[in-house]
Amino acid sequence: MTSLGILLQVAVSLVAGAYLFVVADRLMGGSTQGVRSALVYPVKRLSFLMVQPVTTTERPDFEAWILAPSLLLGLAAVGAVPIPVGGPSAGGDIPAGLVLFGAAMLIVLVAVFIFGWAPNSVFPMIGGYRSAAMVLSVGIPFSLVVLTTAIPAESLSVGVIVEAQSSLWYVLEQPLGLPIYLITAAAIAFWGPFDLPEGADIVGGVAAEASGPRLAMWRFGRAALLVTMSLMGQAVFLGGYLGPVLPGWLWTLVKTVILLILLALTGRTVARMRVQRFVWFGWVVLLPLALVDVFLSGWIAL
Amino acid sequence: MTPGPLSYFLIAAFGLGAVVAGWLVFRTDSMLRAAYWLMVSFVGVGAMLIVLDAQFLGLILILMMSGEMTIMAIFMIMFMMNPAGLNPMTMVHQHRTSILAGVGSFLVLAWVGVVAEFPNRPAPVEDPTVALGEELLGRSMLIFESAGVALLAVMIGAIALAAKQGRFGDAFAGSVEPELDVEVGDRT
Repeated sequence: MTSLGILLQVAVSLVAGAYLFVVADRLMGGSTQGVRSALVYPVKRLSFLMVQPVTTTERPDFEAWILAPSLLLGLAAVGAVPIPVGGPSAGGDIPAGLVLFGAAMLIVLVAVFIFGWAPNSVFPMIGGYRSAAMVLSVGIPFSLVVLTTAIPAESLSVGVIVEAQSSLWYVLEQPLGLPIYLITAAAIAFWGPFDLPEGADIVGGVAAEASGPRLAMWRFGRAALLVTMSLMGQAVFLGGYLGPVLPGWLWTLVKTVILLILLALTGRTVARMRVQRFVWFGWVVLLPLALVDVFLSGWIAL
Repeated sequence: MTPGPLSYFLIAAFGLGAVVAGWLVFRTDSMLRAAYWLMVSFVGVGAMLIVLDAQFLGLILILMMSGEMTIMAIFMIMFMMNPAGLNPMTMVHQHRTSILAGVGSFLVLAWVGVVAEFPNRPAPVEDPTVALGEELLGRSMLIFESAGVALLAVMIGAIALAAKQGRFGDAFAGSVEPELDVEVGDRT
């Protein structure tokens, strides 16, 4: 696939996925204005933010403040590059694609921390520290469960990992993988029960001082990040484009939407977890479970 | 990637970027910016490794550095007498010693680069990652495993020192909350 084709594929999937995510979140939030209103809501919200006056703070780190939202969106796009969408060759054929995805997802922490730091303001900074504590606690389990899918496939290329699932999807072969992946992915994307870096108790956390196009970019970046997480989740755990009757790209679409809706649903249904308790949960529960996942998969593969 | 003019250009560009970012670490007045310029410098080195066909090694370097630089920034902010690290502060100290050390190490490394005869052993074309794994768990296993155990000991020691119930007892022992020096009648 040509570079231009991959660029187009990533752009279309992130924009469409982010749109779908915002609509789904709006509907689950109990919007009383019906489905039609929810369908135009992302466009309305975007147009509002684009014309909203940009407020600033006293002596902000201006460059970092502008850079952070673009970094978030760029990392979501980089993470989506190695994922095959419609068939064996539809995607960047990168030998170490899984590591590229992992690296992009862990640098998200840097974007969130900078975005909290840059306004030179208390609440965003507390949000940034919360994000650091949470992501550093789940970074290792996240990387472990993603890399474990490479053990039976004997390759770090996402395309080869999808092909290796033709007999049995890894969601069944590595039952611990997908649950841990979804929990840690939501925490890295500061979403759902783990959105305390943007918590209402610190008046919006890292985004407390952001407004206008900057905030629009930040929101788009977070939605795109969840789309990338869903894309990779379906590729390495749900067999990607593999499936009967329907064409490959449609299977990718169906599975991605299922994971995306599942992630969006947690935002309105699951109770939030305090940062201290979550840090404990990450190190004491998720990390050992991820190690068990590695050992079991290695044992089966041998 | 087959070596060609593009590879040489990319290596030079990423290398120059890494050096400039490394220089900016000391030119900034913010601890956070210093930490993340260092990360940009490492990303440049990782990109050079990727151009050199060591894709896994380059990406894993970038992956590790993102978390590490954040931890480093937090530690710097914790240890400095600078509320939350938000005040500007200089990043260079002991000018004469550091200039001497910098010039000295540059001369030694440049001399090594010019004089040393590097072995010509190109990585296997099929899969450099497999070759790397065999090297790590084969010939060089003893070195890497000893380094791993040493690092683990350092980590446990750091946690023991930083823990609230560390080796010097409770971190809050003897601390007294400041009294609120306000009398009720003052507020009319």
